[in-house]
Parts: sequence; structure tokens; C-alpha cells
Amino acid sequence: MKKEMYDYGFALLLTLVGLYALTNFYSYMDQYEVAILVGSVAGFSYMGIQWNRFKYFFIASFTLAFLSIFLYQGDLGQSESNFFLKYILSSQSAIMWMTALFPLALLIYWFYLFVKQEFYGSLATFMVWAASIFATAGLLIRWFESYLVDLDVGHIPVSNLYEVFVLFCLIASLIYLFYEEKLQTKKLGPFVLIVINAAVGFLLWYTLAKNADVIQPLVPALQSYWMKIHVPANFIGYGAFAVAAMVSVAYLLTGNGFWNRYLPPKEILDEMTYRLIAIGFIFFTIATILGAVWAAEAWGGYWSWDPKETWALIVWLNYAAWLHLRLIKGLRGNILAWWSIGGLLITTFCFLGVNLFLSGLHSYGEL
Amino acid sequence: MSSMRFAISMLSVVGLASIIGTVLQQNQPYESYIINFGQFWFELFEMLSLYNVYQATWFLLILFFLVASTSLCVSRNTPQVIKDIRRFQENIREESLKRNKYVSEISIKNFKKSDLVSLLKDMQFKVREKKINGEDDLIVAKKGDFQKLGYIFTHMAIIIISVGGLMDGNLVFKFKEAVGIKKIEMVDKPISEIAKKSWLETSNFSYRANMLLVEGESQDVGVIPVKDGYLIQDLPFSVALKDFKIEHYASGQPKSFESDLIVKNKKNGKVLNKKISVNKPLTVDGVTIYQSDFQDGGSKLNLNLIDLYSAEKPLAMKAAVFKHNILIVDEQKLNFEFEDFRLFNILDIGLEESKKPTNVGPNFRHKIRDVTGQAREYETYQHPMVIDGRYFFMSGMRNTPQEDYRYLRIPADAERSLEGFMVFKNLIRDRKKVTKATVEIARNSSEIKEVSRNLANNFQAIFDNFVSGGYNNIALNIDENVPDEKQEQVAGTYLKIIHLIADRLIVDFQNNNSTSTLFNFDDVSVFTQDALNGYSDSFFYGSNFWIELKDFEHIQASGLQLTKSPGQFWVYLGSIMLVLGIFCMIYIQEARLWIVRKKGSKKVTLAFASNREHLEFEKFVLDTKAKIKKFYLN
Repeated sequence: MKKEMYDYGFALLLTLVGLYALTNFYSYMDQYEVAILVGSVAGFSYMGIQWNRFKYFFIASFTLAFLSIFLYQGDLGQSESNFFLKYILSSQSAIMWMTALFPLALLIYWFYLFVKQEFYGSLATFMVWAASIFATAGLLIRWFESYLVDLDVGHIPVSNLYEVFVLFCLIASLIYLFYEEKLQTKKLGPFVLIVINAAVGFLLWYTLAKNADVIQPLVPALQSYWMKIHVPANFIGYGAFAVAAMVSVAYLLTGNGFWNRYLPPKEILDEMTYRLIAIGFIFFTIATILGAVWAAEAWGGYWSWDPKETWALIVWLNYAAWLHLRLIKGLRGNILAWWSIGGLLITTFCFLGVNLFLSGLHSYGEL
Repeated sequence: MSSMRFAISMLSVVGLASIIGTVLQQNQPYESYIINFGQFWFELFEMLSLYNVYQATWFLLILFFLVASTSLCVSRNTPQVIKDIRRFQENIREESLKRNKYVSEISIKNFKKSDLVSLLKDMQFKVREKKINGEDDLIVAKKGDFQKLGYIFTHMAIIIISVGGLMDGNLVFKFKEAVGIKKIEMVDKPISEIAKKSWLETSNFSYRANMLLVEGESQDVGVIPVKDGYLIQDLPFSVALKDFKIEHYASGQPKSFESDLIVKNKKNGKVLNKKISVNKPLTVDGVTIYQSDFQDGGSKLNLNLIDLYSAEKPLAMKAAVFKHNILIVDEQKLNFEFEDFRLFNILDIGLEESKKPTNVGPNFRHKIRDVTGQAREYETYQHPMVIDGRYFFMSGMRNTPQEDYRYLRIPADAERSLEGFMVFKNLIRDRKKVTKATVEIARNSSEIKEVSRNLANNFQAIFDNFVSGGYNNIALNIDENVPDEKQEQVAGTYLKIIHLIADRLIVDFQNNNSTSTLFNFDDVSVFTQDALNGYSDSFFYGSNFWIELKDFEHIQASGLQLTKSPGQFWVYLGSIMLVLGIFCMIYIQEARLWIVRKKGSKKVTLAFASNREHLEFEKFVLDTKAKIKKFYLN
């Protein structure tokens, strides 16, 4: 009974936040964006109800974001002069905290794996939660900051490589945390955190070397409500595939006597890989379809064999093949694990390589 | 061909083949392929249709095999799937139940079949009851039939999407081209001269055509680029561009492109007035019109050609983008080809740390082609830009399109105009004034007449040397005439002398023209140095003329895309089916349950089966058993 009370409370809270946004910012939204807002309230409420810790994560992130908005007092200059904004709650600082916490979590997870003391496992999990909270708050604050730059510059922070890398770290860690709780094992953290930290490394390099954290206005093609659903859906796919590949690495290691002492049994790893790829596949399919619908509106055709489109298709074909492969008896096991690791390479190329090496319509995050 | 292994191979092959077109840039002008690959590879690649690989016959054939394999798979499995959905496996034999992986027994006190049946129904099972061996009870239950429908949904979806894509592909044209009804036009020529064979009628049911529309003009056909040529697509309407507008953010980056269109139906004359912009297309008569890009529409430019090496008055030239002007210079015919004009130019300027995008104003591009056909490319900005805190007029030159522009920087005078530099270059080329200046400077350095006259002659020679070829000339001179160890020292002296003379010329000018404010700088010698550098660099500019943009009339052209895409509906329908299907396959738990109770027994036997027996299913089995146990405990 008590849990249900919390569930309703959470949904009510989200509804109130949604109503607040709707009443205050209605004039900036079109009908689709209103629909997206309503859908988000419903979706996040559902997630909070299904997954108790998500509630606390959500409330913590939004509290930080609101605190930051309060401290800004409508003046971007505050990020330099206000102590809390400068070191914790401006979007750049929040994201910096995220980039500090993920490497820490990685170290503690590995320590935990060999020392096997629950305390360290819980500490590492806590670190990942904290990093996710900072990532979410950072993105929310950045969203707000973009409107402080100029009203017509304001946009959801999923428009360039810097922003989507933060999004990637966030989504990958949330997906991991969900399964960590569901499968009751923290032993995959050491592996999953590797891929998240690789993204953190890129993000840091990109920030320092290229000044990528500057908020830029949107080019005309990106000014669409589609961005709010296409990009996040895509990154749920990317995130799930990345986590799946790291679980596959653990799977391959379990063949070895040394690692068997430290890792969960093969069946659990196999099951987890499947579920990750399955959820990734659904979201990636939806994202690609939404991308096609958007392309039909912005570029004049739902499919133009643009490099990004083509690589999205290749990623999709790869995981479609993986799902078929899993149904062939006798072919499961190591081949599947290798295939999923190869899938990460293809995914990475689609996500990053296309922007780095190929040119096309979809060149929104160039180096 | 319908086996799982074949399906996986096909998925992989399509994936691999798709990579080609992302690595090799598609649909580029064929000349650029020849330059990149050389004749041999160019021809080989062309034979394999690698320049438009996604329309290549062999690629379509692979796709066809994928679809055929999927179709076979669907048609072979669907009857079985439907049968499975309908069927309760009531005729299962007891031995096979005993061998069931999840078989277990539950003891119960007071068994009542109807209770169990309604419990199972509450748990979303479909239930059927039966007597076996004449006296024992068998309950067959199952759930999650949609999981199996998911299979049909996803695979049908792939077929439907492919068919939709095929409808929007160019198969029909390929056929017509093969039998000779249609032909790709290879030569650029006026639309009226293009043969009917290269026209596609309005009845063409699917196309993606482009249209470049100049402000104030109207067109009723589109152009479809195909391979290294094009086709003309007749449209059911004409489109006129009333106005094209670009809006900018405060930082200068483009914010929106907007075309104000008048669309007039050819048959009934109905007129539609509508603005379109990126992400906001317009659909008329089944054709959707998109804002895709923009370019110059033939802006008119009023230019001043300033001869850098003569004191003659600048030459006025009326030019227009996409037009060319011929000028005879030193008995040489030069062709000035104007190629582009841009009103806004966003450049990252400012100091290293504080670089930010700034609009530096209009520029234009032109080529100067000589009689041999050689051409240099120029890019000239109208207004001076701030560099290191000073204002410079900028014009870039390059010999080939592959190079970066090298910029000639001409300092702006105190009024931010070109006038000061024009005065400057006339002063330094004015022998009388230069002689006067050198004599005065020489006199100041030495009171001995003989010495000062010698000095003056030397100064004059050095300055003449500079005027006729810039610092490069001076360097050559020093290289030839001065011993190595002294070169640096001599060069320093020479530069000082040149600067001194130039400064003196400007001071004299100011004394003679006291009303002129051209050189009202805090430190005019900075301007002098910049002007000397600019003059010296001009010898590498490849043209005697600095072209000043006096004023212009901006005429824009909007790039539209016109799409007719009947396959879109089917692609979207297939997409919806695909998502639903995947969802069913992954998230619906398919399960079958048999419960047997021997007559009079205190136990029931449970057996489970599913087509996907993974960990999730094991959990499901445990849950179900627990629920049944709990039910009988109460």
C-alpha cells in the first residue's frame, strides 16, 4: 500500500511539473511539443512506478536543475560570479562532475570485483547514480541556459556531439543500473563502465580541444519537434547496444577459470545480452523510422541513402542478423558474443565515425 | 533460400554492400571521379555502377533476394503459425509430458476442475478441458499468441517497406531507358532545346526533382539528376518565387530560409499563395515542395577596377553573377567571370582566445581567365575586417579550386576607405615626389653635399627596386650583391629606408592637402608599413586590378525540391507493422501449460512449454506454479 502511495505521489508531482511547464511556456510550443510533453510525463511516471530508484534519481536531477535556474535569476553572467553555479550547478560544471564521477565508479567497481566486499559495490553503484544525476541536471540546465543566450537560440540539448555524448553516458548508465538491480549483480559494472568512460574520455578531449561546450544556435534543418524524439530514441538504442557489447566481453571471459571465480554464470550474461539487444533493437528501429519521417519533412524524402541513414541501416541489419542467429541451435554462445562486440564497432562508426570521416546531409556534429 | 542461415547471410550481404556508397561519395560530377581515381579505376568503378550504387542493378538484385527470401520464409511458416495459434495441443502423450523440462507435481486436497480453469483464465490463459484415458482430467492452457503473430508482422513489414521503396525507386525509368524510350540528357542546354526523350511526363508517378528559382521568375519543370546527366520532369503546376528570405541569429548564423511561392495549376488555373521553409513543406496536387537550399540568382554588381600599378582613374564595370565581362589589358584579352555573391559571411574572427563567429558583410567571387584558358579565382570582401586591431580590405586568390585562398590585405585609411591606399600607391610611383623625398632625407643624414647626393641616389635606387617588385625584388637584389654575412644587416637598413621614404611621402601629402583626413591616424607609420606590405604582396596577386565593390542589387534564387512519393504510405505502414511486430516478438511471453490429474489422485502434474525457453520463461513457470499452489492453500 505504501509503495502505491509513493507511485501516485510521483506521478502527481510529474503532472504538476508538466502543468507548470505547459502554463509558463505554452507560447513557445507547437501542438506536437505539447504532445511530447504529455507523453514524457506519462512515460517518466511509468518508469518511476516500474523502477523505484528512478523516482529518486528523477527528483534529485530536477531539484538540482531547478536550484540552478533559481540561482541564475535570468542572467547567464551569474555562471561566472555565483559560487554554486560556477563550481557545481552551471551545465558545464555539472557535466564536469559527471566526467569525474564515472572514472571513480569504474575504479571502485574493479576493486569490488576482486575484493568482493558489498560495501564497495554499493559505493560504485552510488557513484554511477550520482554521475547520472549530474548528467541529467547538466542537460536540463543547459536547456535552460540556451534560452538565456537568446530566446530564439534556445533548444533541447541533443543537437551536437558534445550534448549527445552526455546523453549517451546518461542513457548507458541508466540502462546498466536497471539491469544491475533486476539481475541482482554488480559484477558487470567493471565492464559496462569501461565503455561509458571511453565516451567520457572523448567528451573531455572534445570539450578541451575543440571548445565544443559552447551553446550554438540550431541550423534550420534541426528546428523541429522531431529532434526531441528522434535523438533520444536513437541513443537508447546506442546505449543498449554498447552495454550489451560489454556484457558480451564478460561472457567471453567466463570461459576462463580465473574469471569464473569473479563473474556471473554464462546463462545470466547471455540472457542479459539478449534483453539489452532486444530493447536496443526496438528503440533503434523506432528511432530510424522517426528519422525517416523527419527526413521526409526536412530533406524531401524518407530515404536518401545518406551516409548516416545507410549506417543506421547497417546497424539495424547487424542486430537483426544477431537476433536471427540466436535462434539457430548450436550457434549460440561465443559467436553471439563476438557478434555483439562487433556490433559495438559498427554502432560506434554509425554514431561517431560517420560524422568524423564521411560527409552528408546529417553532418550536425563535425570535428 | 528460406533457411535461417540464408537470412543471416542476406542481412550481412546487404549491410556490406551498403557500405560502398558511404565510403565512395555518391552522385558527384564524373570529372571529379576521374581526377580522384584516374581513367582506369574510373571506368572500372563506372562499370560496377559504384557512383550510384543504390540504384545499381546488382544492388537491387541483392535487395530482391532479401525480399524473396523473406517472402518465402513468410509464406512457408505462416500456415504453421496460424495453425499453432488455433491449436491446443490436446493430444499430447503422457510420456512426452513426463519428459517435459518443466514438469512438476503439486499436491492438492480438494481438486475442483472448474476452480482451476477459472484461475487460469484469470491469469490470461486460454483454456481447454478434456478427459483422457476415459477418466483422467487434462487441462490445456496457453497464452501469448501474439508473440507468434509478431513473426508474421515483422516479416510482412519488411516486404511491404521494400515494395514501397521500390515504388519510389527508378525501376520504371531503368526499363524505359533500356528499351530506348527515354534517354538521359548529358549536355547543359536551355529547356526548350531538350529532346522529348529526356522529358518525364506529369503522369510519372514517383520522382524527386530539383528546381532553382530566381526571385521574380516562374518555372513549370523540375530537373532530376541521373548519373552524370539529367532529366526534365514536367510538373502539373508552375511555381513562381515572389520573395526569398534568410533570417539570421544575432551571431549571424542562418536561422531560417523561407520562400514565398505562388503555385498555379496548369489545367484549372487555380492559384495558391504560400510560404514554405525548411521542415515546413507544401503539398500541392500530390507533389510536395520543399525548401532545400539557396544560391545567388544573378546579383548585379557595380565595380571599380583599381589598377595597382598606375595612377589612372579607376575603371567602372557593371557586372552580374553568372555573367562575364571582357577587358583588354596590355593587349591581352581578359575574361572576368563572376560566379557568386554573398550578402552574409560568417567568419571566426578576433583574437585567438575570443574568436567568435561574426558577419563580415558581402563578398563576391570571380575568375579572371586569359586567352589560353588559364583562370585564377578571386574572393573579395566589400568591407574591411578587423585584424590585429586594424582594418584591412581582403581579397583572396587561388590558382586551382583545390587550394585555399591566399589573401591580399590592403589597409583601410582613417576613414575606413580604400582611398588612402590609392593615394599611397600613386605617391610611391610618382618619381618626382619620390626624388624630392629621398633628397630631403639624404640631406638630413649628411650635410656634406657630395655624400648626401650619393645617398639620395642610393635611396632612390632601393625605392625604385621596391616599387617595381616589392620586398621580393629587394631580397633578390641583396642575394646577388651582398656577401652572406652582411645580408641581414643590409636588409634591415633597406627596409628602414623604404619605410622612411614612404612615411615622408605621406607626411608631404598631408602638408599639401591639409583638409584631407585620410591619414588621421595616431601613428601613421603603422598604416605605411601595412600599405607597403600590401603593395609588396600584390605582386603575388596575379592581377593588376583590385576590384572594389561599390554597390549591388541582391538577387537570390531558392533551391526547391519537388517530390512525388506514392511509396511513402506503404513504407510508413510497414514501419508501424515492424515496430508492433518486434514488440510482440520480444515482449510477449508465449507459453503452453498442461495439467493432468489422474482420477482420484491427490496430485496434479504440471508441464510447461514455450517457443523461447530462456531465463525469463523459467521465472514465468515458477510464478505460475506459485500462484496455483497459493490458490489451493487457501
